[in-house]
Amino acid sequence: MKSLKELQETFQRGILAGDDSILAEINDSDKENRKVLFGVYRNAYVARLAEILGQDYEQVHAYLGDEAFARLATAYIVANPSDQRSARWFGRHLPDFVRSREDYAKHPEVAELAALEKALADAFDAPDAEPLRIDALATVAPEDWAQLVFDPHPTAIRLSFNTNAAEIWSALANETAPPAPKALPEPQPILVWRQEFMSRFRPLSAEEAMMWDEAAKGVRFGVLCEMVATFGGEDDAELRAATYLRGWLDTGMLAGFALEPRQNRNSPR
Amino acid sequence: MIADKPPYLGFGLGLRPQHYREILEGNPDIDWFEIISENYMIEGGQPLHMLDRIRERYPIVMHGVSLSIASTAPLDLEYLFALKELAERVKPKWISDHLCWTGVHGVNLHDLLPVPYTEEALEHVVERVGQVQDFLGRRLTLENVSSYVSFGQSEMTEWEFVSEVARRADCWLLFDVNNVYVSAFNHGFSTDDFLHGVPRDRVVQFHVAGHSHEETHIIDTHDHPVCDEVWDFYREAVAHFGPVSTMIERDDNIPPLAEVVAELDHARAIAREVLGDRAQGRSQLEAAE
Repeated sequence: MKSLKELQETFQRGILAGDDSILAEINDSDKENRKVLFGVYRNAYVARLAEILGQDYEQVHAYLGDEAFARLATAYIVANPSDQRSARWFGRHLPDFVRSREDYAKHPEVAELAALEKALADAFDAPDAEPLRIDALATVAPEDWAQLVFDPHPTAIRLSFNTNAAEIWSALANETAPPAPKALPEPQPILVWRQEFMSRFRPLSAEEAMMWDEAAKGVRFGVLCEMVATFGGEDDAELRAATYLRGWLDTGMLAGFALEPRQNRNSPR
Repeated sequence: MIADKPPYLGFGLGLRPQHYREILEGNPDIDWFEIISENYMIEGGQPLHMLDRIRERYPIVMHGVSLSIASTAPLDLEYLFALKELAERVKPKWISDHLCWTGVHGVNLHDLLPVPYTEEALEHVVERVGQVQDFLGRRLTLENVSSYVSFGQSEMTEWEFVSEVARRADCWLLFDVNNVYVSAFNHGFSTDDFLHGVPRDRVVQFHVAGHSHEETHIIDTHDHPVCDEVWDFYREAVAHFGPVSTMIERDDNIPPLAEVVAELDHARAIAREVLGDRAQGRSQLEAAE
């Protein structure tokens, strides 16, 4: 008699690898043969995970259509047995999986579409934080603004797309015909975050993306203004930097601030 | 009476995101909610926020699907810590999961897989339930699952196995009325044998749900309304066990809240017919205090 451990290993192989050895361990019922009965578990495994992928990647599904999406989902399920306590994270490797597939090499927009959907899902249940409001900065004296450093909201995720995947996503989400896929002349920076419990995203200009990335590293506002000046020209540089900051504050992209001492604490004495 | 038995809560529903707003805006006549624990083992956002608001008004019970208590893989400590942390936040009336396994070698098959009813499996499960109960500092409630296959090596009936787990591990039972019905059909046993085979004082909750009939077997899909045969068996279960917290499960094809509430009212009506005033829900119980 097989031990419980051996029995479970055989059962699992029967589901994952289509191995029929498990049939020797189970009974026919008085109404049905064992192969059909074990098939309930086999079929449920693939069907359940494919359904979850379809929910998690709704727009990839809409973009590819039922047949191509089902092929992709089945290939993914075979290649990635779930190791997650919740099926919520089962599909997390799908963007990389699509990127690695030769049959999608000519359609880089699909992996980017998947990456956008994954980021939106990740932002949805990422940690909570009260967004930083502009009023909170009212206490900062004008001469101290150069010393301000900001915390990005913990739901914020930065992406960079080489295709018009963001535009395709928006069209599909609005249930309109998506534009034809195309490669972009310059990479498109995207920021995903959660506002009022809803995940959202927006494209950033190259300059705003540069400032965001530096701000996220803890660079002071005074230095950010200098970087913006270097990046896009000195005229109005402070105004441009202040406008970006205002946009971040108005839409809850930041979670906090601190005032760095004028003398860098880490500078050598 | 066994000490610290969970309270009778009346008639509850599974909490599903589709119904958050209706619940908060309409204050529907539902006595309590059951959550799928894994869906709230997350860091933040709307689901936890809604749960916090709903639990201010309704008692909550936590129901897991990934404990994998019968697996021969080591207990997942990360999972247990997350479960305990969630329980500290939610303060559930009890915590349940299934008498099944979900995978070995680090794999989660996201299914409730059957156990052979052997002394070996029994000892294994009992030891693990003890470990989990020690870790959580409270008794666990275990649910009988629907199964589609039976094992040649089984040495006892399912109800003997379930009962022995409950006695030896000193845990509670969630009597899933639909699962007993489904497994009885699939394996050709009598629902009455199961009903009379489990210890009455261990049963703290009923599940009632719909299923899919495939002629030669029934699949536990939770995507249909409860059928008449399962209602009939529910009536027998109520007559046998007395007032037990009852909950309708719907996980797929989720209808508007009013439709599930109507099914719940059907359960209330059956319980009232059988038990009279002993079947009161939480709202009536509170009004009487």
